[in-house]
Amino acid sequence: MRSTPITTGLITASALALTLTACGGGTTAAKDASEKPAGKSIILITPNPVGTNGFLQLGVKGAETAAQQIGASFKLYESKDPTSIAQNLDAAVRAKPTIIIGITFSFDDLFNTLPKQHPDQQFLQVDSCAKTPAPNLSCVSFKEHEAAYLAGVEAGLLSESGKLGVVAALDSPFIHRWIDPFFAGAKSVKPAAEGTPLYVGGNNPFSDPARAKSQAQTLIGRGADIVAAAASGGNQGVFEAAAAGGAKSFGVDVDQCALSPGNVVDNVLKRVDVAEIAAVKEVAAGKTGGVKVYGLAENGVGVTALDDTLASTACTVAKSPEVVAKVKQVRDDIVAGKITVADPLAG
Amino acid sequence: MNIFEATFVAAVLTATTPVVLAALGGMLCSVSGVFNMALEGQMLWGAFTSVLFSHLTGNVWAGVLGGVAATVLYAAILSVGAVTARADPVVVAVGTNLLALGLTAFLMRLILGGGGTFSSPDLKGLPTLAGLGLGDLPLAGPVLGPQSPLVPLALVLVVAAAWWLKRTRSGLRLRGIGQHQEAAESLGLKVGAYRHGAVLAAGALCGLAGAQLALGNVTLFSEGMSAGRGWVAVVAVMLGRNRVYGVVAACLLFGIAEAWGFRLQGAGLPQQAADAAPYVITLAALVLVQLRRRRRRPGGLGSDKVLEEGVTT
Repeated sequence: MRSTPITTGLITASALALTLTACGGGTTAAKDASEKPAGKSIILITPNPVGTNGFLQLGVKGAETAAQQIGASFKLYESKDPTSIAQNLDAAVRAKPTIIIGITFSFDDLFNTLPKQHPDQQFLQVDSCAKTPAPNLSCVSFKEHEAAYLAGVEAGLLSESGKLGVVAALDSPFIHRWIDPFFAGAKSVKPAAEGTPLYVGGNNPFSDPARAKSQAQTLIGRGADIVAAAASGGNQGVFEAAAAGGAKSFGVDVDQCALSPGNVVDNVLKRVDVAEIAAVKEVAAGKTGGVKVYGLAENGVGVTALDDTLASTACTVAKSPEVVAKVKQVRDDIVAGKITVADPLAG
Repeated sequence: MNIFEATFVAAVLTATTPVVLAALGGMLCSVSGVFNMALEGQMLWGAFTSVLFSHLTGNVWAGVLGGVAATVLYAAILSVGAVTARADPVVVAVGTNLLALGLTAFLMRLILGGGGTFSSPDLKGLPTLAGLGLGDLPLAGPVLGPQSPLVPLALVLVVAAAWWLKRTRSGLRLRGIGQHQEAAESLGLKVGAYRHGAVLAAGALCGLAGAQLALGNVTLFSEGMSAGRGWVAVVAVMLGRNRVYGVVAACLLFGIAEAWGFRLQGAGLPQQAADAAPYVITLAALVLVQLRRRRRRPGGLGSDKVLEEGVTT
């Protein structure tokens, strides 16, 4: 019921049509690999509706650009929620494109098994990797903790009360990448800083802005003057609370400063498009399998403060050049290996 | 510390208002003898339509009125299905809850041009009482100042509903219909009309709840943003047992438990435990209420003699 009727209908129809053509043409199994429909094609599957989700938008943009660059056609299968991924993936496998891209950790389980069942199909997982990847599964993941640490450095320099908060969707190891390094970064410049995370949880952790806002207000009420958002669909609620309570916030994944001008310091960026384009090119060139990790050194993650376009954004960090300078220096130290940011996932 | 406490009360009030409004509607239905489980879907529908109308007209009050009207219309499905066609209200309610989830997501793509979350600087939210110049009241200022006008309206509606049910002829008739339908019919009461009225009024209240959630608590719509609040309202109706203040107390219990949960989380309690807090407290309240009821009845629950006595007295 939760899948959009139109998407499901289209996908079922196209899956049916493709099954028919596949049955008609494929008399020998060995021919399958070479019998792809004329030209290259890429199918991207999202775990949630793209909508205004900046991260998924960037993922789609990256896949589109990558398809253009290798001369492939591009199709997008949007899942209504993570439970409908399996159907979309099934339809994608039947379509036999050059590469099937799955985005986020929601694909971990399915990509553990499916690539092994379809050894001739190339899979690419962006933003996470299955536990035991098959040779035909390539992965792109990110060191989000490095960027979160930089954001924390900014927060530590800008906080007056020394009390920081994070409103995160869930208390899960992956999401801790936006929490622990953020506080660690703040403490590196302000050792007395205190950090408190709150988790939205409940029935709809990734899309409960009212609860996220209420939690941000709780943190601000306890004296926090910076509350970072890591609550996906709830982020806007955190920004609203910061605006009302005179606090500042941080966005995630893409430039969210414009969503609440004057209230967002900076963003923990993940350049999905950059990484995706590079990975698609490698897979298309036959270099498949393995995990490629994008950190600060590869420019796969970062903060808006490091971008040349900082002046044209609504991020308030632009008003503090000394903070930007310090962030650049810390970035260089991390890239040079002088500072190692602890990865909550590894611990 | 004083201000800290005021912000706590304010946070509880903000979080509880949508639940109270929906529960008030559910209670009216319950009093009239219709079990209304459609609150969750109607609240979501109210949230979506109020954001939609506010966005289209650029006027937040047009958004609230549009949301209320659209939700009354939506509640007509339950009213026609359960009262006119005499279908099982639970089945109709489950259907409309699922429909609301799919329909809001679909219409969002169709009209607002994308799924997920819709927010825009042009989207007008409800003003705060402080913004309307009412924030300087002594005592109530820090609590009511950050609230939208729908919060005091909810308080007024609660008192009005309690008074209406207890003190007016039509309120008495509504209760009579719920307690003994045949007796009410034999007195010539239009049972169906009263029940239609109750279900549609619940729709209006859920529309108001959705408007408060999407334009008051925050200023945006995101898919499934009612996030279980309608179900909490259903539970509050069952806990409060058709008494307005009982239902409101149950809602407040939830709100306080949730707000305390946030604070306990801040103090190091795991998220999962804090998540469970409102439900654990509900269970405890349910058991306590039940125990008290038993103690009041001599002879214990289930004995025929007691039931007979209960009917005759």
